[in-house]
Amino acid sequence: MMRRVSAVLIVAVGLLVGGLGAHHSYAATYNSNKDVKLQGKLVQFVYRNPHTFVHIQAPDESGTMQRWAVEWSGTSQLERGGITRDTLKIGDSVVITIHPSRVAGDYRGLMVNLVRPSDGFTWGAAPGQAVD
Amino acid sequence: MTLPVPTRAARLLLVTCAAVLMPLAASAQPARAQIPPDISGEWTLANNEYDTTAQPPLGDYTGIAFNAAGVMRSETTAESIFGTPEYQCRPHSSPHQWRGLGGARILKEQDPLTREVRTYHIQFMRSLDRPVYMDGRPHPPAWAPHTWTGFSTGEWVGNTLKITTTHLKDGFLHRGGPQTSDMYTMTEFLTRHGDILTIVTVIDDPIYLDEPYIDSTTYTYDPSSSVAFETCNGTAFAENGGSDRHHVPHFLPGSNTADLNEWLKKDDWVPPAVARGGVKTLYPEYRGVVAGTTNAAALAVPASKSDVDYRKKIADQSPRDGQVHVMPVQGNVYLLIADGTNITASFGADGVLVVNTGTAAMAPKLLAAIKQLSVAVESQPRPKECFGLNCPGAWGWSSPFIDAVIASPAPPHPIRYIINTSAAPEHVGGNETIAAAGFFPRVAGGFGTAVDNIGRGAAIVAHENVAAAMSAAKAPAAAQPTDSFFDEFDKLPEYVNGEPILMYAAPNANTDGDSFVFFRHSEVIAAGNLFSTVSYPAIDVTKGGTIQGVIDGLNKILDLAVAEYRGQGGTMIVPGRGRLSDTADVASYRNMLTIVRDRVQDLVKKGQTLAQVRAARPTFDFDGRYGSDPMATDKFIEAVYRTVQKPDSVQEKKQ
Repeated sequence: MMRRVSAVLIVAVGLLVGGLGAHHSYAATYNSNKDVKLQGKLVQFVYRNPHTFVHIQAPDESGTMQRWAVEWSGTSQLERGGITRDTLKIGDSVVITIHPSRVAGDYRGLMVNLVRPSDGFTWGAAPGQAVD
Repeated sequence: MTLPVPTRAARLLLVTCAAVLMPLAASAQPARAQIPPDISGEWTLANNEYDTTAQPPLGDYTGIAFNAAGVMRSETTAESIFGTPEYQCRPHSSPHQWRGLGGARILKEQDPLTREVRTYHIQFMRSLDRPVYMDGRPHPPAWAPHTWTGFSTGEWVGNTLKITTTHLKDGFLHRGGPQTSDMYTMTEFLTRHGDILTIVTVIDDPIYLDEPYIDSTTYTYDPSSSVAFETCNGTAFAENGGSDRHHVPHFLPGSNTADLNEWLKKDDWVPPAVARGGVKTLYPEYRGVVAGTTNAAALAVPASKSDVDYRKKIADQSPRDGQVHVMPVQGNVYLLIADGTNITASFGADGVLVVNTGTAAMAPKLLAAIKQLSVAVESQPRPKECFGLNCPGAWGWSSPFIDAVIASPAPPHPIRYIINTSAAPEHVGGNETIAAAGFFPRVAGGFGTAVDNIGRGAAIVAHENVAAAMSAAKAPAAAQPTDSFFDEFDKLPEYVNGEPILMYAAPNANTDGDSFVFFRHSEVIAAGNLFSTVSYPAIDVTKGGTIQGVIDGLNKILDLAVAEYRGQGGTMIVPGRGRLSDTADVASYRNMLTIVRDRVQDLVKKGQTLAQVRAARPTFDFDGRYGSDPMATDKFIEAVYRTVQKPDSVQEKKQ
């Protein structure tokens, strides 16, 4: 019995981590020592595995509008946190803080937190709300 | 009959003795094949290796016997390359599969008669089904496609399953940066001890490693588990943001030292010199270097470099052996390799269409191969599988059964079209011979009426700059294009062998007349000299060639091509030279060219001369793979230097 419980746990942990775990390395992809705040309109919400992506139009450091791809967790982790494919809508005004890509020319970041001022929706402040 | 009691006792004694002695006797016989352990089932990853669950940092190559090219390739590779449209669905690279998350499933496919295991199938969360053939089949020729899982054959060595895998795509040893070339071979040893499966993996990459990379992983048998499954759905959008779908993320050499060393702040027990690996760091003697009692240059290590002759392995993809090799591609399309030059050919009810004709010297052999293939594809007597009057092909007062036995098949249709993707001698050299053996019906008012004066051979189609170049070179009239196009793309006026044939111009690529051909139903692209798996492009600046033109042409191919599953297969691409490929291979080549372009561009912006650019070796980490001819590499660097965008302040200097 104990063995079976262990097996179930292993599978559960495997799936959990599988939902979170990146096929790429976050540490190698993103600069976790740096935060960048993006303020703009959501143009695409790609709710999918292995990673969900939020695309927003927001200015870069020079003020030029760019299409930013913000990497979020896989759907299983987001679902557990109550995030569904209907949570965000195209056209939503959002403020997103990201860890930016390490590469010049990427307009990509890892989701740190997201705020939607229109209704006060937030993600990233509560325990467990982290893409790890 | 009832035996007397003493006789029965004697027989019992005899049987008993036989039972005792037979095993002993058997042991004196030649050893019978041992029944291998059953390795099929569901397996869970028993240990949590660092590179499985953690987030490996950039720049950690400890324990990897990288050579200098391997270090450079890895240091300049960005992890966000995973986010490009061509790579976002790719599975884990094969060296990392056993370390990836989600468990493993091993299935066995048995011969229904003998019940021998013909094939094992290995599956992971992020993988394709990986067959391991146990039936003794040979590995494919060097010009066969490479895949993410490669081509695997297995054999039992005692209780250990030894798997040898070739034909792998380029990838990574583990997440976080350390790269492999596509010339590596993987050997795995799977040993089952009760419910434990130990896998030892040996990666032999002669391009980037001075010594094979070896790791081991342990799995536990667990029938109650099920390998996790991950889909890759949604559109093929780029995950790297921005508006350039062809963006290739990478680091310029020396630009990311701080990022590469960031992890050493936390893991400060790792000596920086060890962080980037290297064969000497793998041996205990290296402790003397760390302690400062000796220096690395003085340290000798055992010679255990790969015995793989990678130069031959690369050259074999494009065999210059004076022969024609044939490989089916898909649909109507075949690849013919004529003394190293690739010819793409479609066979069918309308006849033969060939893209390029090889050199003049090879034309007779090529023609013979085309005719032989035509017969094999179109005119081979085949047993009928249908009996009765309703069978297709039965006409009038005839019996399809008798037809099947006695009929002589209709002869194959002639060569109708030749399409030239450039005016290079290896593309147009056989035009005259091949066209003369063909036939294109020309009638007044129809396609090609303007060329009646050059006979009734196959039509020859090319970009008009190819026609102009051949005319200027005074090529024989019968070898010159009968029809040309000038726009960004053109198409043959009607289906050929049941499918549309489209020609796309690639302006200012290797020359001003390059194009590629798309077989839209067979899903095959003949890329011409835009793409090679054995060399850098031969950009001829004097004929209008530019590095950006080649990259744009490859990007156009990538826009049209679609992978079948997990970034593999689907649209197949025939390079001008080298192995049959798919989108991921073209992406790899495009990435290489984009990286080299950016490196040279950066040096030009810094005001460096051609000599300085050459000395900086901007192709160093790719030379093992594409630079077998140093003079061609020099020419390539010069072409890139002369055609990258130069800032106004930088005037080209005469070298």
